[in-house]
Amino acid sequence: MTQFVQTLILGLLIGGVYALLASGLTLIFGVMRVINIAHGSFLILAAFLTYSIWTAIDLDPLLTILLTTPVMFAFGWLLYLVAVRRIRGAHMSSSVLLTFAIALVLEGVMGLVWGNTSHSVRPQYFNESFTIGDVFLPKAQVYGFAVAAIVLGSLYLILTRTWLGRAIRASAVNPQGAALVGVSVSGVAALTFAVGVAAAGAGGSIVSVLYPFLPGSHYQWIARLLSIVVLGGLGSIQGATIGALILGVAEAATVTYISPSWATAVPYVVIFVVLLVRPQGLMGSRLREDVAPA
Amino acid sequence: MKGLLSPGRAIVGVAAALLLVYPLISDNLYYQNMIILSLVFAIGAVGLNVISGYGGYVSLGQGAFLGLGAYTLAILSTRIDISVWIWVPLAGVVAGVFAALLGVIALRTRGPSFVIMTIAFLFLLQIVATNWSSLTNGTSGITLPLPMWDVAYQNWPFYYSLAALLGLSLLMSWRIRRTKFGMGLVAMREDEDKAATVGVNTPTYKLLGFVASAVFVGMAGAIYGYYLSFVDPIGMFNILLSVQILLSMLLGGRGTLFGPVLGAFLIEPLNEWSNNNLGGGNARLLIFGGLMALVVLFLPRGIIPTLKDRLESRRKRGKAGLVGARLELRERTAPVAPPEPTGRTLLEVKGLEKRFGGLRAVDGASFAVPEGSITALIGPNGSGKTTVFNLIGGTMPANTGEVWFDGQRIDGMKPWDRAYAGVGRTFQITRLFRQMTVLENVVAPLRGFRWGQLNADGVSGSEAERAEELLDFVGMKRFAGQEAAALSFGQQKLVELAQILMLDPKLILLDEPAGGINPTLIERMGDMIRELNARGTTFLIVEHNMPFVLGLCDPVLVLARGKTIASGRPDEIQRDPKVLDAYLGDDFALDEAVPATTS
Repeated sequence: MTQFVQTLILGLLIGGVYALLASGLTLIFGVMRVINIAHGSFLILAAFLTYSIWTAIDLDPLLTILLTTPVMFAFGWLLYLVAVRRIRGAHMSSSVLLTFAIALVLEGVMGLVWGNTSHSVRPQYFNESFTIGDVFLPKAQVYGFAVAAIVLGSLYLILTRTWLGRAIRASAVNPQGAALVGVSVSGVAALTFAVGVAAAGAGGSIVSVLYPFLPGSHYQWIARLLSIVVLGGLGSIQGATIGALILGVAEAATVTYISPSWATAVPYVVIFVVLLVRPQGLMGSRLREDVAPA
Repeated sequence: MKGLLSPGRAIVGVAAALLLVYPLISDNLYYQNMIILSLVFAIGAVGLNVISGYGGYVSLGQGAFLGLGAYTLAILSTRIDISVWIWVPLAGVVAGVFAALLGVIALRTRGPSFVIMTIAFLFLLQIVATNWSSLTNGTSGITLPLPMWDVAYQNWPFYYSLAALLGLSLLMSWRIRRTKFGMGLVAMREDEDKAATVGVNTPTYKLLGFVASAVFVGMAGAIYGYYLSFVDPIGMFNILLSVQILLSMLLGGRGTLFGPVLGAFLIEPLNEWSNNNLGGGNARLLIFGGLMALVVLFLPRGIIPTLKDRLESRRKRGKAGLVGARLELRERTAPVAPPEPTGRTLLEVKGLEKRFGGLRAVDGASFAVPEGSITALIGPNGSGKTTVFNLIGGTMPANTGEVWFDGQRIDGMKPWDRAYAGVGRTFQITRLFRQMTVLENVVAPLRGFRWGQLNADGVSGSEAERAEELLDFVGMKRFAGQEAAALSFGQQKLVELAQILMLDPKLILLDEPAGGINPTLIERMGDMIRELNARGTTFLIVEHNMPFVLGLCDPVLVLARGKTIASGRPDEIQRDPKVLDAYLGDDFALDEAVPATTS
């Protein structure tokens, strides 16, 4: 029983971090219909930035979020202007190929800058845990979850309570309609992309404390994030949050009850099962594609 | 590019000859190695081109089939001690089986989900190869038996078997593109739902497309593994193999026969060069990633199509194009008398319902279309007319209700089966296969499914003749060779009509045939509908142009909020208070001169 509770709690803690990482991916898809394959490489980049800041000035890695998030926001904005903007409205495959190309280039750049070896960020509390009864709660995971929840909560508030959020959601639902009522849809797309990348940045800082990483880790991360958004329903932030928690628990359960070496297979199995059983995901509705834009 | 000695053919011939004699005249093993690897990637890219270039399904996991083939050969050859080459065809079968499994899952996924699935497929195989140690020896990999032939033969067996496989792959690709199968794949790439409504059995096409894109790649993978004499999960299921294959196809030109080969023979030398001069690794990532970004942004169609276009436009400079030409509005024989009513009901819809979330787009619609009639379905915007069409044509399933056609219940049938039964439909916003020519568009519909048909010529002589007749009928014969995307909206409507006539439908559903086209064309459209009707075709027409509808159709059905609220003769409908209230408006009064009525 203790083992079960332990597994469940660890799964939910890491699931919260996954939720933050996947939110940007699903937001970008919702507004722009772009599957950002580079999302994993963005978070690894943020993890490396965190590593450099932490080694240079010994700032707590979770506090570096205050630096990595704006840096990644600017990076996302720039990337949108330079590249992503050009394939808006093109066939979906172009955006997949382009963002995949960006991921490869970033992987190469990170390899040149930081080297292709495994890095990890270890603050003093790295090996410490809270204990409640027989259940261990590693401090890094608890803090990571808390920070992720705060960032994700703020993102929610921005999306639901501000004009920008309404503009983003309006553009996601109906770009023409949004344009008609005065929303600059291309401006919103740039902002959305930047916000999505910034969310990956915040998540990357947290990830740097929880997992070792190297430039090539981004494949594993993008696979995990894709499985979350497929499970939750492409474009749905609530869906991504639920999907993230489920995946976190599923991975933790696989580690506990099957074997750690098969835990990496969980996201892929999830993708296949969801696509076979419920292709639109948990919270996704089937897109109504029959209505022609007038 | 016609004639036996066109420049294109000459280049291909010379390149093939050079490829075949190279190992005989040079013993430079460095270049032999480079060509062998290029051949492997070329086979991969030619295969990928079948499903991605023709069928439009972009895959980031094509390299998985190389890996599957290599592992098949490695596992069997280390356990069973007979000639290693025996396992090469079997590796093709294994790859084909896996492709079919992938295809089964892909039957319900498109676009974004499909790409995600291909990545998952590749990585899942990598994990299985890593963890299933008893079969694959895990991360340590499998070392293969060394080749037994005389050193004097160098790598010739690898070289020539791969060259032969490439030849076979190209032959297959060439044949596919010329058959109904290839045409169906291209139709799917252009518009999968539309392809289904004109009789393309899309799941079968998709599955076969997947298998065709994998079999030779699996065999090439087996030879590749044997050549390297070592397979391991990291090397064989490396996503960069998939990237290199994909990049080869994109760079050379997707959807072309030789583009993938050209791409492979450009990328692999570049890859070797960067490995030798830039230390590989990160430089290779930068080159692949950078090149892919450049191709997507600046050369999206690839080298061969872009070059062809350049040459074409140089040849055509100064000659006026056809697209702006006027329609051939021939004088037609006087409109024929409408057919005698048979008294039978051709289409009957009972209690049809369709919900989108909380919205009831169609809410218990019931109506009948008499055989031999031109029936109108009118109603305000959002009343569910197009959705009713989608439910009748099978583009989407109804929540409840029945659709009976010609004495048969069809609401459970797939769109292509409904097309075979005799239902043809056009779309409000025309949906032609944009990158096909007008003629190909008209020939694309299929009146039935037979396995043999897949291998039949894409455009047979009799079909071309029939298509030209139909194009002549709608006044678009001169445009037969144009790309559909170049036509105006009105012209596209005419071609779409000719396209579904190819199905010989008993019932034609027209979605706003008079919407967005000029008055002369509207009149012409009315005449054509009358003429077809006189020859026995029944029509169900959704239209907002009331003079057109009231002059042409009888009976008229009125749909409002997803329900049929009235039906009757045009003059009854015009005066029906319910219809005036829901749709036409109190002040509706039809001018005496009805443009669409010429009889």
